[in-house]
Amino acid sequence: MATFFGEVLSVYSRAVEEDDDDLDDENEDERIHREIEEKREVHIVWCPEVAQSLEDSGSNTLQCSDLIIAVGTNAAGFLSAYVLNTESWDAVGHVSLWNERSRGSSRQSIAPLPGEPACLFYRHRDNPAVLVCQSTCYIAEDQLFQWTEKVFGCLQKRGLSVMVLSDSPVAEYKTPDYLYGSAVPFLRSLKSSASKGQALCPALEQPNILTGLPAAVLSHCQVHQIPAVLYQCYTDVISPDSITMETYKPALLCLSKLVKLEPCLSADVLRKFAIITEAQSNLYT
Amino acid sequence: IYDRAITVFSPDGHLFQVEYAQEAVKKGSTAVGIRGKDIVVLGVEKKSVAKLQEERTVRKICALDDHVCMAFAGLTADARIVINRARVECQSHRLTVEDPVTVEYITRHIATLKQRYTQSNGRRPFGISALIVGFDNDGTPRLYQTDPSGTYHAWKANSIGRSAKTVREFLEKNYTDEAIATDNEAIKLAIKALLEVVQSGGKNIELAVIRRNQPLKLLESKEIETLVAEIEKEKEEEAEKKKPKKST
Repeated sequence: MATFFGEVLSVYSRAVEEDDDDLDDENEDERIHREIEEKREVHIVWCPEVAQSLEDSGSNTLQCSDLIIAVGTNAAGFLSAYVLNTESWDAVGHVSLWNERSRGSSRQSIAPLPGEPACLFYRHRDNPAVLVCQSTCYIAEDQLFQWTEKVFGCLQKRGLSVMVLSDSPVAEYKTPDYLYGSAVPFLRSLKSSASKGQALCPALEQPNILTGLPAAVLSHCQVHQIPAVLYQCYTDVISPDSITMETYKPALLCLSKLVKLEPCLSADVLRKFAIITEAQSNLYT
Repeated sequence: IYDRAITVFSPDGHLFQVEYAQEAVKKGSTAVGIRGKDIVVLGVEKKSVAKLQEERTVRKICALDDHVCMAFAGLTADARIVINRARVECQSHRLTVEDPVTVEYITRHIATLKQRYTQSNGRRPFGISALIVGFDNDGTPRLYQTDPSGTYHAWKANSIGRSAKTVREFLEKNYTDEAIATDNEAIKLAIKALLEVVQSGGKNIELAVIRRNQPLKLLESKEIETLVAEIEKEKEEEAEKKKPKKST
């Protein structure tokens, strides 16, 4: 029966008993829904030591004072070049998920290959309360909530402070002024209300909004009153690029208080993380 | 809506397609041009070439005639068209008036071509800027720059492409009469300017010079490496001099 609003309601006839066929159909629908849900489930795979720590703690949580999340290839490249290049970081886990744009490996236990889009966790050896997450794979809207709940579910909320670095195309930046070429790439910040410190760049102006993983993380932090600051880098290149990565440098000020960082970086190291797509692209000379 | 048809002005007077074309120029690697006393120099940042690609077909510096050459930044295909038209015009001029083109003439020809494409229906602007150098018949060295809008100006030194602003600031500080006193000094100034922005030094720099009454000469990589080494040595000596002297 169709209603005025266009929904289709199944009508139960009082005259005869429900056919078994109908039940099967419903079951099939349910089965398909369940299969899709399972396929799209977000799994966090920790390394044995961390899995053990999780078990040992009564609440199945890790003690974490600082979580740094990089979303996007330039943010991840910046962390790889400036923070993760010292030998004192261990890969402790990854997130395995499947969606149309991120075909994770069929077996969750296999860690992603280097260079593949993935979501990886690193922990500092000397200061194991500092966690870094590099997310370069696409996480679908329906998986964002799960990702956030599961990741934050593994971390103790007390004393936790979050920093998010995220890439965004400058074409999505809305401003009444014309953006001159030399201003790009640039940083804008956004904080949760629990975050007390000063951000190192201007705040994101209205009507710009965040979407995707950075938005999910910041929303979670706002709801659970976790101090969080986000640095969004607007850039005009679509591939990892050393100039864009350097734009995140103000974040080093906060990070250097937590862990020892590489003081000076040669341009060669940065270039290693910037994909040299120029060789393949002869469009511009 | 004001950037769909490029012949349409926006209410505040912008031709957005032309301005976007200037963004395309910034995607090309850096090129620098220096006008010396008896020499003109063009230096470019070499693009990394794919493994199986023939390097000599990826050229940023092209001769337009025996006494004029240009470097471009921006869309490779657009540059090819502009260069071909310029080369044809150079020869046509020789045959018609029995004189080689002046650098200003051929620059004006290229700039006029570019301007036409900013006012035609259904055509987009050329996405390249060019640095045109050479000597006129009377022996005067010239350097001109054109951009997608079709404007052109004469310069003593200029740069185009990816890090043009940084290089131009360097040139504004360092282009002095002493800096271009000799041919060698002018070449070194071009290399120094490029080293400000080029990653991994001398092996990614290509240099071309024209001396009065001589054809275009592309410097060999060995020569460039030698000059780069000279420059580094000079920098070290400068740094040594600035160090405070130890008391005996």
